[in-house]
Amino acid sequence: MSDNPWFRIGWRNLGRHRKRTVLTALGLAVGYFAAVFTIGYSEGLMAEMVENATGLVSGQIEIHDAEYRPERSLYDTIGGRDGVNITRLLDGVSTDPGVVAVAPRVYAGGLVSSGESTSAGMLMGIDPERELTVSRFLDELVEGRVPEQGRNELAIGVEMARQLAVGVGDDVIIVAPGADGSMGNDLYAVSGIFRTGMPELDASNAVLPLADLQTLITLDPSRIHEIAVTIQNPWIANDTAERLATILNPDDLALEVAPWTELNPIIVEFVALADAVYGIVFVIVFGVAIFGVANTMLMSTYERRREIAVMLAMGARPGSVVKTVLYEAGVMGLLALALGVVISLPLMLWWNIAPIDLSRLYGDLTIQGALLRPVLRVELDLAYWIWGGVALVATALIAALYPAARAARIPPADALSGL
Amino acid sequence: MFRAPLRQLACYQRTRNMFLIKLIFTALVAGLTVNGVTGAQELSPREIMERVDRVLRGSSSHGMATMQVTTENWERQMTMEIWSLGTEYSLVRLRAPQKEAGTATLMADKDIWNYLPKVDRTIKMPASMMGGAWMGSHFTNDDLVKESQLVEDYNIEIAYKGDRDGVTVWEFLLTPLPEAAVVWGHLEYQVRQQDYMPLWARYYDEDGELSRTMTFSEFVDLGGRLVPAVMDLQPADKPHERTTMRYETLEFDIDLERSFFSLQTLQRQR
Repeated sequence: MSDNPWFRIGWRNLGRHRKRTVLTALGLAVGYFAAVFTIGYSEGLMAEMVENATGLVSGQIEIHDAEYRPERSLYDTIGGRDGVNITRLLDGVSTDPGVVAVAPRVYAGGLVSSGESTSAGMLMGIDPERELTVSRFLDELVEGRVPEQGRNELAIGVEMARQLAVGVGDDVIIVAPGADGSMGNDLYAVSGIFRTGMPELDASNAVLPLADLQTLITLDPSRIHEIAVTIQNPWIANDTAERLATILNPDDLALEVAPWTELNPIIVEFVALADAVYGIVFVIVFGVAIFGVANTMLMSTYERRREIAVMLAMGARPGSVVKTVLYEAGVMGLLALALGVVISLPLMLWWNIAPIDLSRLYGDLTIQGALLRPVLRVELDLAYWIWGGVALVATALIAALYPAARAARIPPADALSGL
Repeated sequence: MFRAPLRQLACYQRTRNMFLIKLIFTALVAGLTVNGVTGAQELSPREIMERVDRVLRGSSSHGMATMQVTTENWERQMTMEIWSLGTEYSLVRLRAPQKEAGTATLMADKDIWNYLPKVDRTIKMPASMMGGAWMGSHFTNDDLVKESQLVEDYNIEIAYKGDRDGVTVWEFLLTPLPEAAVVWGHLEYQVRQQDYMPLWARYYDEDGELSRTMTFSEFVDLGGRLVPAVMDLQPADKPHERTTMRYETLEFDIDLERSFFSLQTLQRQR
């Protein structure tokens, strides 16, 4: 392109006022960073929300009896009243290539009591080994360890521990209505205390080994309420759920295989909303930049009135003048983009790899039951970097249109005569 | 995902505590009203209820009862021994089934404690759990507490007076007073005029939908008084479920002190 004279003229003009060029490009570059950062941070929040909604406790896919939701009755176990061969079912689910881990669960409502205090509790029966591969909330306990089967142990949330004023090693009583109508009750030692960051969970969840909970509520060992499934990434949940439904179908169980997108549709909508907002971010950021660039270009063409008049007088066509101004703007856009990437990349990489702790600014937030940790976490999504680049160069070109048109209409005689 | 088990819990809790107490009251209302019938002079609906209320207070009782609970998922029968003093105090101890024998509930001044013999501990029901249920039966907690203050919480009027299937009855319509904290939209109560025996009570929710029906039957002499020995509660939305309570023995005005209704008594496993 360097043998294109109009390009050369445009390029050289950038060097005419280097400071001005650099400042304008810097303005665009900061705009670029603002857009990429805003979107990256928003994507980070969305990712945080989806990961915690699906990975912290619940799982990306849940398998229930078809009748189980939304009532979640104690009696609607997988396979109905007869129960199911749990090991075989879990193995069946594991055969799918998208599946990373599976864990069986039993749920019941009950009272958890210590001394004078009593709390309503959501009792969750887990297979300790499998559960640790599926959900994250038991990975790092505040205190103690995960309960072991057959030892009358349980783990409770921090808020429940506070309300009951118990610590690791203390006894609590659980009273829970059994599947036969009896009132199951027993003493359990607190083996661990967990913290999910979700207040309702930390206040009401009590986690017991599956078999122990089944004994308490007189539920047959073959009866479970849920199989929680972890898959390779949350975004393949729908396809994987469909495949699983087909895989498990021949077993003649009335199952419901629900991906998180179905269990928590509001989060899906939230993510879709955020995506829609990104376009608006571009419009705002570059809409502001456009006037700055237009101003610079107007100045730059106005200074060169005589030069342009000479070109026009010597037979240059107005279209060529437009071209040279647009070349100038386009190259500045590319410069700004390079500058923008140079500014953005290290910062974004840093915040992506080591999210900044924002807990001084705000504590744990939950949106629709999904936890958002107070961290500045950004996602690096190449698509938005590219779109940002396109928007930036387009901004520079659009900003140059009016100055270019004006330059092309400079009357040579008047300009040269000093008017 | 966590709401549903909590709801199970709430139902369970709701039924759990107050139900027996209510039964006692109902029995007493039914039983003692008879003694209150003195003359043929016209009493206002409120006076009838107040009279019942007055008779209830200060009287004591002791009896054995069986409760049959039928739900979609299970059926069970329990035998229990019941002591009561006025409307404020009562103690219920399960005698059967064996697995739960000794389990006891104490209500004193609107507080409720449960004693669990298996772990030898007592649990006090938190205020938030007072809306609980007893042993999965269909009796709810709140209306049980409130049952003892129908006169205070409801406007009472006679909706019908005359013959129903050859029996002369009153039918009362109970509508909540504006300031009353009650759970029902309104109640209908049928009482036999000849002996003041209640025949049924219908409970309607705030939308005016029938929520459940309590039916009284087998009017027999227990402890020297005419009482409905059987009370049957049937939820309107579950036609195949019901809870039936039957008094086997009952004695009135026995020697019971307030001190009997204590945690010590509750924990004494006899």
